[in-house]
Amino acid sequence: MKPLHIALIIIAGLGVAAVVSLYGNTTKYVSFSEAQELSQNNYSKQVHVVCQLNKSKPINYQPEVDPNHLEFWAKDSLGNESRVIFLQPKPQDLERTEKIVLTGKHKGDYFHAEAILSKCPSKYEDAPVKKEHPSEIPKSL
Amino acid sequence: MNTLLQATSKISDVVNFKNEWLWLGNLGQAFIIITFLSAFAAMIFYYKHEKSGDVAFRKAARRSYFIHAFSVIAIFSVLFAVIFFHRYEFYYAWRHSSNSLPVYYMISCFWEGQEGSFLLWIFWNAVIGVVLMRYSRKWESPVMAVISFGQVALSSMLLGLELQGVKIGSSPFELLRIARPDFLNIPILGSIGIENYLSIFNDGNGLNKLLQNYWMVIHPPTLFLGFALAIVPFAYSLAALFRKDDRSWLQPALIWSLACVGVLGTGIIMGGFWAYESLSFGGYWAWDPVENASLLPWLIMTSAAHMLLISKNTGRHMFTSHLLVQLSFWLVLYATFLTRSGILGEASVHSFTDLGLSGQLLVFLLVFIGLSASISFKNINQRRIFNRIISGVFIGAVALSFVIPSDWYSSFQTGLKWFGISAFFSVIVLFIINLYRNQKTNLEDEKLSSREFWMFLGSMFIILSLVQIFTATSIPVFNKLFGFRTAVPVARDYNAIQLWMAMPIMLLMAIGQYFSYRNTNWKTWLQDAAITGLISIATTVLLNFNFKIEGYHFLLFLFLAVWLALGNILYVWKLKKLGVLAWGASVSHFGFGVLLVGVLVSSVNQKVLSSTQEGIQLAPEQDEKGNVDVKGMQFNRENRILYKNDPIKMGTYEVEYDYFEQGINYDSLDKFFYVKFRNQTGDTFTLVPKTQNNPKMGLLAEPSTKHYIHKDVFTHINYESGMDKKEPFSGFKTDTVALGQVFTTNSGKRKLTPLSIEKGASSNGLMLRLVLLVQGINQSDTLYPQILINEQTGNLESIADQNEGMGVYASMLSFNIQDPDPSKQKISFVIQSAEKEPVRDYIVLKVVEFPWINLVWAGTIIMVFGFVFAITNRILLQRKVLS
Repeated sequence: MKPLHIALIIIAGLGVAAVVSLYGNTTKYVSFSEAQELSQNNYSKQVHVVCQLNKSKPINYQPEVDPNHLEFWAKDSLGNESRVIFLQPKPQDLERTEKIVLTGKHKGDYFHAEAILSKCPSKYEDAPVKKEHPSEIPKSL
Repeated sequence: MNTLLQATSKISDVVNFKNEWLWLGNLGQAFIIITFLSAFAAMIFYYKHEKSGDVAFRKAARRSYFIHAFSVIAIFSVLFAVIFFHRYEFYYAWRHSSNSLPVYYMISCFWEGQEGSFLLWIFWNAVIGVVLMRYSRKWESPVMAVISFGQVALSSMLLGLELQGVKIGSSPFELLRIARPDFLNIPILGSIGIENYLSIFNDGNGLNKLLQNYWMVIHPPTLFLGFALAIVPFAYSLAALFRKDDRSWLQPALIWSLACVGVLGTGIIMGGFWAYESLSFGGYWAWDPVENASLLPWLIMTSAAHMLLISKNTGRHMFTSHLLVQLSFWLVLYATFLTRSGILGEASVHSFTDLGLSGQLLVFLLVFIGLSASISFKNINQRRIFNRIISGVFIGAVALSFVIPSDWYSSFQTGLKWFGISAFFSVIVLFIINLYRNQKTNLEDEKLSSREFWMFLGSMFIILSLVQIFTATSIPVFNKLFGFRTAVPVARDYNAIQLWMAMPIMLLMAIGQYFSYRNTNWKTWLQDAAITGLISIATTVLLNFNFKIEGYHFLLFLFLAVWLALGNILYVWKLKKLGVLAWGASVSHFGFGVLLVGVLVSSVNQKVLSSTQEGIQLAPEQDEKGNVDVKGMQFNRENRILYKNDPIKMGTYEVEYDYFEQGINYDSLDKFFYVKFRNQTGDTFTLVPKTQNNPKMGLLAEPSTKHYIHKDVFTHINYESGMDKKEPFSGFKTDTVALGQVFTTNSGKRKLTPLSIEKGASSNGLMLRLVLLVQGINQSDTLYPQILINEQTGNLESIADQNEGMGVYASMLSFNIQDPDPSKQKISFVIQSAEKEPVRDYIVLKVVEFPWINLVWAGTIIMVFGFVFAITNRILLQRKVLS
């Protein structure tokens, strides 16, 4: 065995360890009900839920009371619904989103989201209804 | 979709659409076809020249390539004209630009869309090809054949053909009415006639607001130049394999790979700087899969450049050099596939959406790997057999997919998928085996005291770091292939691993250059290492009086980064006689060390000044270390509400939201919030974070940062009172009063006094403006309700005024002239007032202090200088050797 080979074997071992630990640490895409089950089984890691905002229920964000508290309801692809609490200000395009990916944990009777990734695929592809007048905004102030 | 297409093609046979500049699109399309064909011709002619040595072929190849380069520029110009003249009959212009887009951002339209960014890539490749034609001398034909092949592949992405439902490329000159046939069905066209659709589609969808930033004008071209440069070392490696056993490819490949590492690295950091200056996440690197996709080729190219250096200087590790150079280009293609196929959709905030070209991108990756595998055969007959098998299997699979009955189709696809995966890996394995057989060297073992030994190890540690990022970033691909439901890791997971992964690399960078090639006197080496190590320990201790970093792993990282920086800058002492240009490696390594110190300090010690423990309480929480927080308050509260003119304390600063101003920015309304910062030492500054109500993208916010040498104070508005739904006014009450006569609102809480009446002219007629004093409990203000006497209609139009902060509204409905005698003339005004709970203006602000973040940018700039030195030095050396 040359020293180079020993070193290479060690690096390769580290590589395998890195990949294994990566997969050991990854989280899953789950539904709200699975998230709830996991939290009851004391699963400590965060999970990801792909869901849609329920626009018929109120979005509660009152900065005067708490600027870091947003509550809304979301439905996952299986139709499970959950209350979601997000300890940050309301993302500015929340109402427009078609799909949101929540990262967090289920707690008590709500899903505690630590991150919200919102997807509005149609946001650049606006509906073709064009304004008949050019921009309403004055060009100078 | 298909029937719609047919329907529109029928429509266009019948309807004569007005005002379309079809000729412009046809011109562009013609240049795309010329680009494709001329690249193909150049590839064939260069190959023929390589095989036969006939100079006539080379002449033909050069001509074809010049035509190619010219027509690439022509496509660029035509597409620019389409955008510049607002020709919205072309989908690309409609989708990515608008009438209000300033000319200097029109160039950014090229990288908002996939077609434009492919065009940019093709453009850089074309330029690189012309440079290679001039300077690659004896390597010209094989290298240029590969480059031309790359151009064939890339320009096919622009063809925009559709054969049997299979899309080949997507043309930037596609017509709006073809791309979106549904647009011809909108009701309004019924009244004005479908042929006049352009009079409705007279403005485009606009450029993504986030790209309207000067950094976005230079970041993508730099990044794409880096991507484009990766093909050159790859081409040299293939050329060398094709010609067998020629080592003179190492020097040019090294120069080009250094250029690639330097440019790509600069491009990546520019992207980080853009994110930091104009995006909201508060940082320059978020380990987003799209960011990682650009980091992967950089890491492996860095590793490859070091291997090339070893091979060139010692003749060892030819196999590894070839392999890494090849992998670099494959990873560029893989990164392209990742970011453009839409596969990262759920994992990334900013990937392109799928254009239906992911299949084609995948085919490219396979074709290039197949090409490498084919050329790696030393034996011509074996190579021929391999080529036949591969093309046979490929054509067979394509043919089968057309004839297979539809009820077998899904099982056929599953079969094809697994066959494809196994074929893919066997081709790679085959390539590696061939390469190893061809390139293994029978030299005696390198010594432990040789530079090449440790540099090789360093390169391998870079690969180790790459493996982790690659696996994590590829998770969406594995999910798709194997049906997993794994999520990509979050930034903290990457940081936790990469912190350790970087350490061996840093250590080797700190002490590696004190080894000489082949053999080193251990005693002098130990002396150097010990001296620089001790100086670094002392420096780390001193620095940490300022940085105040805690945690042994962070301190170890800091020490290694300092050692890396100092070890390299002290090494310059040894090179002082060789002149500045020879310092390239040391300078860029020093820069990298400075960068790493900056990364560590600015991220570990960043302070969220606006963090708070107030707010709505939640269920008890427990953090990873097991600390229980009973009120659930401890984590994640990073924003404060700032009422107008009501300062609060954040860190050492007293922060006050002073006022806001509105401004018009091309197509949207901007609000600038003036936020004053004061601390006890008398340091005062004002930051102006901005929000923008963008008609296309909703509300966007842009941070504002105060830069000091030793820290940045970063502010970002996450919400402001203007975004609230407004409570309506109520308690409407009408009074008829004279000037000076005091009256009150419905509840009697606010006193109103008309002070005077002012006259003015507007374009529509006479304007009367009432000056109305409003007095509340502690505050007073003036409202200006107006009446316009419209000369055209003869009507009185009243324009109300209101003050949200005092919760009062007033409108002048009419006025009466009560006494006909002009000397006693008394005017009374009919005023409608209303009120509501006062609304206070506020902003929700996040304030973060980033200590020493300037080291990140300074380190990058130093690194770039290092690369410039190194590349210039290598080019001069090569000239000397050749002359």
